[in-house]
Amino acid sequence: MTMLLAATSAFAQAGSAQQQQQLDLTAVSLPIPPAGKLVAITNATIMTASNGTIEKGTIVIRDGKIAAVGTDVEVPAGAKIIDGTGKYVTPGIIDAHSHSAAEAINEGTLSITSMVRIEDVLRQDGISLYRQLAGGTTTLNILHGSANTIGGQNAVVKLRYGLPVDSLKFEGAPPGIKFALGENVRQTNRNLQPGQEGRFPRTRMGVEDLLRDAFTRAQEYRRDWQQYDAKKKAAKTAAERAALIPPARDLELDALVEVLEGKRLVHCHSYRADEIRMMLRVAKDFGFRVATFQHVLEGYKIADELAKAGSGASTFADEWAYKMEAWDAIPYNASLMAERGVVVTINSDSDERARRLYQEAAKAMHYGGTSEQEALKMITLNAAKQLGIDKRVGSIEVGKDADLAIFTAHPFAPNARVDMTLIDGRVFFDRATSPTLEQLIEQMKQRKPHVASEDQ
Amino acid sequence: MRYSLAARCWPTAARYCPVLLAAAIGTGAFTSRLSAQAATGTYIIRGGTVVPVVGAKIPNGSVVIAGGKIQSVGANVQAPQGATVIDATGLFVYPGMIDSGTELGLTEIGSVPGSTDTREIGDFNPQDVALSAVNAHSELIPVTRVNGVTTVITSAAGALMSGSAALIDLWGWTTDQMAITPRVAQVMSYPSSGAGGRGGGFGARPQGDASETASRQVRAMRDFFADARAYADVKAKLATGGSAPNAPRVNQAMESLVPAIRGEMPIIFDVNTIDQIRGVLALADSFKLKVILRGPRDAWRLADTLAARGIPVIVGPTTQVPGTDDPYDAIYAQPGALVKAGVKIAFQTSGASGVRDLPYNAALATGYGLDMDEAMKALTINPAQIFGVADRYGSLEPGKVANVIVTTGNPLDVRSNVKYLFIRGEQVPLTDRHTKLYEQFRARPRP
Repeated sequence: MTMLLAATSAFAQAGSAQQQQQLDLTAVSLPIPPAGKLVAITNATIMTASNGTIEKGTIVIRDGKIAAVGTDVEVPAGAKIIDGTGKYVTPGIIDAHSHSAAEAINEGTLSITSMVRIEDVLRQDGISLYRQLAGGTTTLNILHGSANTIGGQNAVVKLRYGLPVDSLKFEGAPPGIKFALGENVRQTNRNLQPGQEGRFPRTRMGVEDLLRDAFTRAQEYRRDWQQYDAKKKAAKTAAERAALIPPARDLELDALVEVLEGKRLVHCHSYRADEIRMMLRVAKDFGFRVATFQHVLEGYKIADELAKAGSGASTFADEWAYKMEAWDAIPYNASLMAERGVVVTINSDSDERARRLYQEAAKAMHYGGTSEQEALKMITLNAAKQLGIDKRVGSIEVGKDADLAIFTAHPFAPNARVDMTLIDGRVFFDRATSPTLEQLIEQMKQRKPHVASEDQ
Repeated sequence: MRYSLAARCWPTAARYCPVLLAAAIGTGAFTSRLSAQAATGTYIIRGGTVVPVVGAKIPNGSVVIAGGKIQSVGANVQAPQGATVIDATGLFVYPGMIDSGTELGLTEIGSVPGSTDTREIGDFNPQDVALSAVNAHSELIPVTRVNGVTTVITSAAGALMSGSAALIDLWGWTTDQMAITPRVAQVMSYPSSGAGGRGGGFGARPQGDASETASRQVRAMRDFFADARAYADVKAKLATGGSAPNAPRVNQAMESLVPAIRGEMPIIFDVNTIDQIRGVLALADSFKLKVILRGPRDAWRLADTLAARGIPVIVGPTTQVPGTDDPYDAIYAQPGALVKAGVKIAFQTSGASGVRDLPYNAALATGYGLDMDEAMKALTINPAQIFGVADRYGSLEPGKVANVIVTTGNPLDVRSNVKYLFIRGEQVPLTDRHTKLYEQFRARPRP
């Protein structure tokens, strides 16, 4: 933690390229805590998200990974048993759009802030992370806000609540960045002070201009470095090499070059079909793929275009009418996009909705008749795919991380409740040991005299 | 036949009778939001599981609708001659659901000020009448009702006294037709000291003079009630032939509070914390008010008191995070805890675009101690009782207004769908802005 703070402040003052290159924060991460060694969840209904539902099945967890799944699975001697009788087990829920666990969300003073990083401001975020765990959520895509067209870099985390903040990081998750279009970046919902001009851009035309300008600069910056590297390689003597002057390191463009090279996933906040198509054209012209469109409330109008571009869509289940650009939002969005081959997720964008994403996912069945497994995928496997972590999480399969939610009833049933949440086979939430309202009321009743006076 | 049924129209819809409606249709005023049928259709819904809410479930039961009312409910019901038969085999029949706190019709697009009428300037506006600003043709209304929510409380909120709420059905050419009780309750927010967060159930703190502390606001509120008490007393004296030499001039604000100060009209108090609830109870004692608590987080702390005093609680939205120091499940578990203590509860979603999620709001509580049948009551008969219309609303019983939904399963289950919808006995089409866009773009040719 101290090291992280030191690194952060040094980062803020970073003067040279060399200094910056030494500040890879993964280097100061603390070791991940020991995973669940040997655990077996027995006699449960297992909704795998990839291979249907297994009745009366067993999951064996070894060293934090799923070692076996099925009906014909032997429980190894010495395993800690979790009785799953009458329970439903799903993959841990992945929230593809979160703003939890971060000290700051928006660096909105500029229209391009690709140099700022959510991982520099991660925190344990107190009780909110625990409450999301209690809704079966295990992984979050923590995004920069939507105040500007090219926002900051994201952080993918696992909800390892209670461990040091560096343990949150989803080790090995591909890096990403937030882009945003529409009303928020135009700041048209803000009241400007008299005489205040506002920040460029102010129209959707300006947003496109800004993007093209930024990526043109990124291309030139990349070319400068490529030429420098080539000359350095071609240099015959040490003196020749020493005489070469490298281009000035630009942290803003570094991140955009990573986008151009497909090394950084773009998560683009968007609403209207026109702006989404604009973004697709820009991405095509500069040769990169937009990994996901976030919100993408009019995605259903251009589902074929999204599918063709290979862009995922991460949307709300049924939010609408909260602003002009959300006026054509329909709750059939997820189903319609999925029908045409788009990888769709349903996200929270809220510490509250992240507590009940399982209910949100069921809305894809209600509106448009998405199948049960597809609906479950929209909060698990599809999110893992969108974030490039599907080899690790998102479904209940042998070899994957043992990130699991155990429900008292079918997760889409009205009375569904999470009783236990595991990450890496480790129980991070257990209702049996969690303070509940029922317990609190019971305690208050036992302190009768006090309660009585409270109650009068 | 038509005329005799028309005579049984409920009072608030007296002007709305089949003859006039037929005339309106004849002029071409018909829009797709309302069907061309007048409220006199006769239907028999048969073969489904009937859940009357009051009384036991009836497997393979029937519900007969005629003249806008429920004519009969039971296992062995004769189909009236000429009745349209709705085959509900494999389906379920429930009363329409009631949301006890919304802004429906008062706002269209949240961030577009020109489309919202939810907050008047000033802290004391008891004379404001929500129904006057309800847009009967809001796109949000069909979107709400196709999910089985047929009746709502709608009102402004956020001020200390926001005016009167309306109880409306989500069907009608005008708000006169929609209204069940045009002024069903006063809506007020109890001042918040700031501790424990928000002031009102709508997430808005009372926006009074910033320098005015909560205690000053409480005093101002008490003064207002004291004035209303005096005003009502003088009025009563004058009405019984007494003379009051200094009788006050007619005052709209005071006039509007007379029913509440006489205990004839309930006051919905948007509250949050235990301090606010205690404040409301003290106000109720001082002025003999009939109060309904709405949106509290802390009602469970006083559950026994509220039960003993018979004060109903409108819970929700359940889609909130608990207070910082509360258990993780406090919001979800409170409805069950209140029912267990004997408090009558109903649910609110509190907004406009999300009112269709009312049953799912209630569902969240059923995993945490709220009995499923009690949850259904809290969406139907309980609010009907709380708002004084249980003789006409809230269950499937003969003689009641035919707000009926036919579903594929438990309405609280997100996986269920509404298959047929009746409001005031009329079969309402299950179309809205969203189904239209869905059909339109689902049919987009593939490239």
